[in-house]
Amino acid sequence: MNRTVIGLNLKYFIQTIVATVVMFLGLFLPYTKLNDGRVSIITVAGKFVGCVEKSGLTFFVYLTIVFTILSFVLCVTNIVKTTKMGFKIWQLCQIFATVFWTFLLFSSKTILESSALAKGFLNKDLSFGYWIGLVFSYVALVYIMRVTQTNRGYIVLTIMSVIWVFPILWIVLTALREEPGYYVGYFFPKHLTLGNFTKLFAKDSVIPFAKWWLNTFIVAMCACVINTMITLATAYILSRTRFTGRKMFMNFLMIIGLFPGFMSLIAVYNILKGLGINQSLFALIVVGAAGAAMGYHVSKGFFDTIPRAIDEAAIIDGASRLQIFTLVTLPLAKSIVVYQALGAFLGAWSDYIFPSMLFGDKQSSYTVAVGLYWLTDFRRIDGYYTQFAAGAVIVAIPIVILFVWLQRFYVEGLSGSVKG
Amino acid sequence: MNKKTISRLSYVVCGAANAACGQILKGIIFLAIEIAYFVFMIVSGFGRLRGLATLGENVQGMAFNEELGIYEMMAGDNSMLILLSGTVTVVITIAFILFWLFTISSGKAAIKRVEEGKHVNNFLEDVKSLANKNINFLFLSVPVVGLGVFTVMPLIYMILMAFTNYDSNHQPPGNLFDWVGIKNFITLLSTSDRLSSTFWPVLGWTLIWGFAATFSCYFGGMFLAMIINSKGIEFKKVWRTIFVLTMAIPAFISLRVVATMLGEKGIFNVLLQQWGFTSSALPFLSNATWARFSVIIVNFWIGVPVTMLMVSGILMNIPGELYESARIDGASPFMMFRKITFPYMWFVTTPYLISNLIGNFNNFNTIYFLTAGEPLTLNYYKGAGKTDLLVTWLYKLTKDSNDYNLAATIGIIIFVISAIFTLVSFSRSNALKNEEGFS
Repeated sequence: MNRTVIGLNLKYFIQTIVATVVMFLGLFLPYTKLNDGRVSIITVAGKFVGCVEKSGLTFFVYLTIVFTILSFVLCVTNIVKTTKMGFKIWQLCQIFATVFWTFLLFSSKTILESSALAKGFLNKDLSFGYWIGLVFSYVALVYIMRVTQTNRGYIVLTIMSVIWVFPILWIVLTALREEPGYYVGYFFPKHLTLGNFTKLFAKDSVIPFAKWWLNTFIVAMCACVINTMITLATAYILSRTRFTGRKMFMNFLMIIGLFPGFMSLIAVYNILKGLGINQSLFALIVVGAAGAAMGYHVSKGFFDTIPRAIDEAAIIDGASRLQIFTLVTLPLAKSIVVYQALGAFLGAWSDYIFPSMLFGDKQSSYTVAVGLYWLTDFRRIDGYYTQFAAGAVIVAIPIVILFVWLQRFYVEGLSGSVKG
Repeated sequence: MNKKTISRLSYVVCGAANAACGQILKGIIFLAIEIAYFVFMIVSGFGRLRGLATLGENVQGMAFNEELGIYEMMAGDNSMLILLSGTVTVVITIAFILFWLFTISSGKAAIKRVEEGKHVNNFLEDVKSLANKNINFLFLSVPVVGLGVFTVMPLIYMILMAFTNYDSNHQPPGNLFDWVGIKNFITLLSTSDRLSSTFWPVLGWTLIWGFAATFSCYFGGMFLAMIINSKGIEFKKVWRTIFVLTMAIPAFISLRVVATMLGEKGIFNVLLQQWGFTSSALPFLSNATWARFSVIIVNFWIGVPVTMLMVSGILMNIPGELYESARIDGASPFMMFRKITFPYMWFVTTPYLISNLIGNFNNFNTIYFLTAGEPLTLNYYKGAGKTDLLVTWLYKLTKDSNDYNLAATIGIIIFVISAIFTLVSFSRSNALKNEEGFS
């Protein structure tokens, strides 16, 4: 076939046709083994017509057949007359065919069992006709996309997105579920409600969630301001000034950074007790701020890239070091400021170990991390699982908004950290 | 008075040189701090240091009270508090020595300026210079004090603890504990008892986990970033946001949720059975091998977006001409990855990889929230499980079984491992050498 069509890469036309035909043949090869021997998917679909009771998912079978045949027909038309438009439509059809072949992998059991065609069905009972159909639907799709010069990355991205979003979807759905309990045998809730959210904030609630949330917010805001200032100041000094013991100080920070942090938690706790501020939010803020300097690397790497000449010009103009830092360097390093602030906020927001040790059983000063973890204790998990999920959603929402909003800065900081 | 005499005198009387050069207030402050330190040492400091050597002598117990003629409970020495206050004294002493060195150099500088006939700053000018020439003192004072009190002091305390027998059998205030030298290290590393037969497998799993977690996320993230950044993908931002969602949810939440999802009656098992993939529940977290794979896969789920974001930034820095000429030469996409993208990435990200590796050795969150180290096994020392890393075991030893000495010993071993990897990283990367390169 020596055709050329602008916008199509017909080098792969043959492979496309072969794959489509094989997928089409998959319809007539045995789909599964039923009581009366191996049957093809077409026969199975025929049996459904006679069935009184059938699952709502049965239409997957019909749609698989319809789109596969449609794809085959479009294949034939494209052989007769190859156009860009024809290929686009074929591609769309093939996408649907692929999707439904994939759906069958997950729904065959339900479909076959609810219409009483099979009992104790497992996917290993699916026969080679199905597997050929499934595999070649993907092969055909890939080759069609090659011909239409579409990026094949979409297939991978779609599959990965589904996997990545799945647990998040589960949290959200659980938060909206009316039926309590952790062991439920279905994915989509039977009844939706916002009750889990209101229950968390109700006055008579056993869970002082509003208090926890406020505690966390206070700590996170303080951390956001104080830690960021300390980190940036340290980074600035180490990047811009040269003084005796600077190298030593940096090495020293690196060495203490290599010890696992909570090895010393017990001692920190005792010191706080000695100072009389244990079990308070203040302690949490102080300890967080005390260690903030250790995370100076990223900002220092960034400050290093700001040309010295700017500083020197400012010095000639009579600016003091402090003025240079606040009026020249910081405005130039906006992305790193945001990165550090976001990091500090996130860190404080989701820190669990230290607060849990610090507060012990004093529930009123819990942060959300400690509180929510406490809810997932095996004695409470069943009763509070939906409320836990609701709490999780409430905790996650501000972070998600911040993150999506400030993503650009975060990426800049993150790729900066590699260079530093 | 002779300059030399004053200079010598200032070694003993802090601030003498400064006072002689006209910085009276500064000299007085220096002297006051010195006096305060010695008063503290005489009143309680030396006693505390002596306590550090013995760690307490009187065991709590019954003693005969002759006046009342009865036995009564006598409070004994609390070894833990003695150790802690001793550590505090040591840190204060170190701080004082640093301060002493500082006063000497400050005095010398003042004398030098007088000899050269230059202006000597008065106190107000000294304070003002904090915003300019001496800004490092202003900016570093808070971090240094903070680190000293809440990082260095606790660390010294815990390091010292590794050389005591402060375990579940020697709990103050009921009991004393004492120095035992490096016995803890020997039991943990070389004897054939329960502890070392727990330590080595846990260390082995920690290393396997570290490498598996780091490299799976690294390549996964790189792969994802390359797809999203490749030509012809529309809505790059939307795709990126989808993956960033997992990153934005605090780890403790997503991990707790995934842990419940992976349970025996969790949603994964329910769905796998409904979908017909298996007829009975899979032991995702209850079988050792399954659990180890599960934690690596869940970590992959969490870690890939982070790498993806990071790699996205670097990918854009690779000069496009390289790919252009490679394409003209007929290189396949895989070839281009192997010969251009990967070498570049590898070169740029080696330091990141090493620090990520160390981070994963100490990845407390993933393990603790997912499995809490379970499944437990009888072959291990109490409390340790098959997915426990050294850090989670350390945490359990302090929190559940109060074997502080073992926890501290493990902490030091973790430090040694991290230090080795860091040294390797430093010898390979030239990041440090290039520090001045940009300026």
